[in-house]
Amino acid sequence: MKDLDQYWRYSFVGALLCAAAIGIVLRIMSIQADPQRLKQLEAEIEQVTKVQKTIVPARGQIYDRWGNLLAGNKKVYEIGVELQDVEDPQFIAHAVSMIVPNIKYEYVFSMASLKPSPSAVYATLTRFAPQEAVDKLELLKKQLKEDYVANGKDAPSLRGLVYYPHLERYYPEKALASNILGFVSRDNQGYFGVEERFNELLSGKARTVLVPTDPNRVEEMPEVPNGASLVLTIEREVQLAMEEIIDDAVAETGSASGTLVVMNPKTGEIIAMATTPRIDLNEYWRLEEVFPPGSNIPFNRAVGQAYEPGSVFKPLTMAIALDTGAVTPDTVFVDTGSIEVGGIFIVNWNRGAWGPQDMTGCLQHSLNVCLAWVATQIGPNNFYRGLQAFGLGHLTGVDLAGEVAGRLKAPGDNDWFASDLGTNSFGQGIAVTPVQMAAAISAIANNGVMMAPKIVRSVINDGYQHDIEQRVIGMPIKPETARTLSEMLARSLEKESSDALVPGYRVAGKTGTAEIPIPGQGYTSNQTNASFVGWGPVDDPQFLVYVWLEKPSTSPWGSVVAAPVFRRAVEKLVIYLNLPPDDVRRRLASSN
Amino acid sequence: MEQLEYLAKSYTQAPWRRQLQLIGLFSLFLVLAALVAGIYLNVSAKTAIIGRDIQAKQRMLESLDRDIEDRTARLASILSVAEMEGRARKLGFEQVQPEQIVYLKLPGYIERSSVILAPYAQKTVVSAPMIPAEYTESLFTWLRRQASFTMLRLSEAKP
Repeated sequence: MKDLDQYWRYSFVGALLCAAAIGIVLRIMSIQADPQRLKQLEAEIEQVTKVQKTIVPARGQIYDRWGNLLAGNKKVYEIGVELQDVEDPQFIAHAVSMIVPNIKYEYVFSMASLKPSPSAVYATLTRFAPQEAVDKLELLKKQLKEDYVANGKDAPSLRGLVYYPHLERYYPEKALASNILGFVSRDNQGYFGVEERFNELLSGKARTVLVPTDPNRVEEMPEVPNGASLVLTIEREVQLAMEEIIDDAVAETGSASGTLVVMNPKTGEIIAMATTPRIDLNEYWRLEEVFPPGSNIPFNRAVGQAYEPGSVFKPLTMAIALDTGAVTPDTVFVDTGSIEVGGIFIVNWNRGAWGPQDMTGCLQHSLNVCLAWVATQIGPNNFYRGLQAFGLGHLTGVDLAGEVAGRLKAPGDNDWFASDLGTNSFGQGIAVTPVQMAAAISAIANNGVMMAPKIVRSVINDGYQHDIEQRVIGMPIKPETARTLSEMLARSLEKESSDALVPGYRVAGKTGTAEIPIPGQGYTSNQTNASFVGWGPVDDPQFLVYVWLEKPSTSPWGSVVAAPVFRRAVEKLVIYLNLPPDDVRRRLASSN
Repeated sequence: MEQLEYLAKSYTQAPWRRQLQLIGLFSLFLVLAALVAGIYLNVSAKTAIIGRDIQAKQRMLESLDRDIEDRTARLASILSVAEMEGRARKLGFEQVQPEQIVYLKLPGYIERSSVILAPYAQKTVVSAPMIPAEYTESLFTWLRRQASFTMLRLSEAKP
């Protein structure tokens, strides 16, 4: 009987254990078989074993051609309060508002006084406190700790005040090349210039990831690569010199603005691009003080503002004429002082008649009547086909944000009239940007080959440097046409004894003075756009300089205000680019 | 029958001895289990310490990266063109004028080239397979290859 009792007892315990085991197995199976529950479970486990973290990669740096840093990153701090730890909100507010710039006592006090709750554990006071402020707060904390040891609980406390370092964009050269670089706002978004154009590349990809807290899963920590860095074609010292020259020119001539572009016509590389106005990029929030809303001032006039260029356009008309065989350099045109094209009469800049002139004379004296006649000899189809081949009316694709295409009307457009053939021939009724003009004219300097203007020389990504290839964007004229026209323009400058001539260096170029039309009234104002385009040395061009002064007040003429700016720019350039005078260069070359 | 039981009892181990054996066996199991657990704990503790070290080093790396960025920017500020120009002027330097420059031809002079901040990306060269043919070819191919080798050797051996 006793054995039977024991048997049942054992059997009962055994059955219970088996049932429990079966229950556990069934539960495991049910969890395994239920993907939703499994997912929920995994999420719960992840919540305990992982923390969510947003990794913002360091924004790529921007260098000039020689590796000088133009845009980098500096360390700043986010200052905040851990609400459950705050003991003395008043003192925190007092200390932070005294030490950290641009933060008010009331704001800090209201934040530090928040009641902690499951949804409010931390409050941000500022995201961009400088290192110096944090150093001072740290020192204060240290002093308070010593006070606490001495005075006990009565001492004021900064408990709960915390700071976390992160990076902020910094421009060591301040306003230098600001029109090229653009800036980065505090939400890491690039605006204008290279910063906007290459924003995605520079910023990298910020990722919100779950970081395992378990040290055994440390290998799961994701790697977020930094943003790519850029090497520009710009030369820092040349850029500074050109900015100084254009600033002086604007001040001397009383111009509304100035733009100066320096380009290597053989490669399309932009060596300097100086425009006014500029801002200190480290204080980009002052943008509206310099570029008031509604003023339509572009951040970079060289790419963002199209204007009627006037006579600097004439070399393009002459290039098409020579290339199509409409004229030769020796073709003689008898200037009677006016010509009728498409029903309107075109006159010269001085309203005079210049008599018989060869084509060099037409360029030398900048005769509108002659160039309008040349355009009629080319014919509208060839003329506009030629201008399109020079890239006018299209974006150049330069590596900068905010480029505009300008306007080139052509036969077939609703707003094109037969008279436009005449006016367009000397740069009226046509809108171009300085970069477009520089690129187009570079074809004349570079044996008929037009290179794409570029600002970015190399990209450094994933630890490797990749050079951006030079790109030919067209061959609008034949090499012999380019050489002939270069010679004509060099001779016309020499004959004119232009202010653009540089002692020791043979340069070619053309002045331009364009009246500024008033919408609805035509060319009735006395205001002008004064320009100059030139390149050199003529036999082996190393630079092309484009100058534009908007509404100069001391003189309206490009030959008076813009040509000397070209000369000053070239005098500096030849030093920075190590270009010996022509005779020295030839002597050194012949001694080989 | 009684004799048989006597014999069986005589050769049966004493109960205390059997208990001792069981306890010994159990103890041995416990010792082994403790040993395995100890080794496991030791290894996992070391792994955790190394994991913590790696985490700390990752944080340090992040901090150092930030410091490098910050110092690069500060250095650039100190070496900025305006600062350098100001310092040069203070030291009595002035900008060179074109007529002051003398151009010389220096044999072997290499012109300054644009900055190279990182190695240029190399084209990936796929290396030759390192696995011997025996591991990749089929049995028939191997046999055929061996046969042709043998034939070649035999033909070479002929006078």
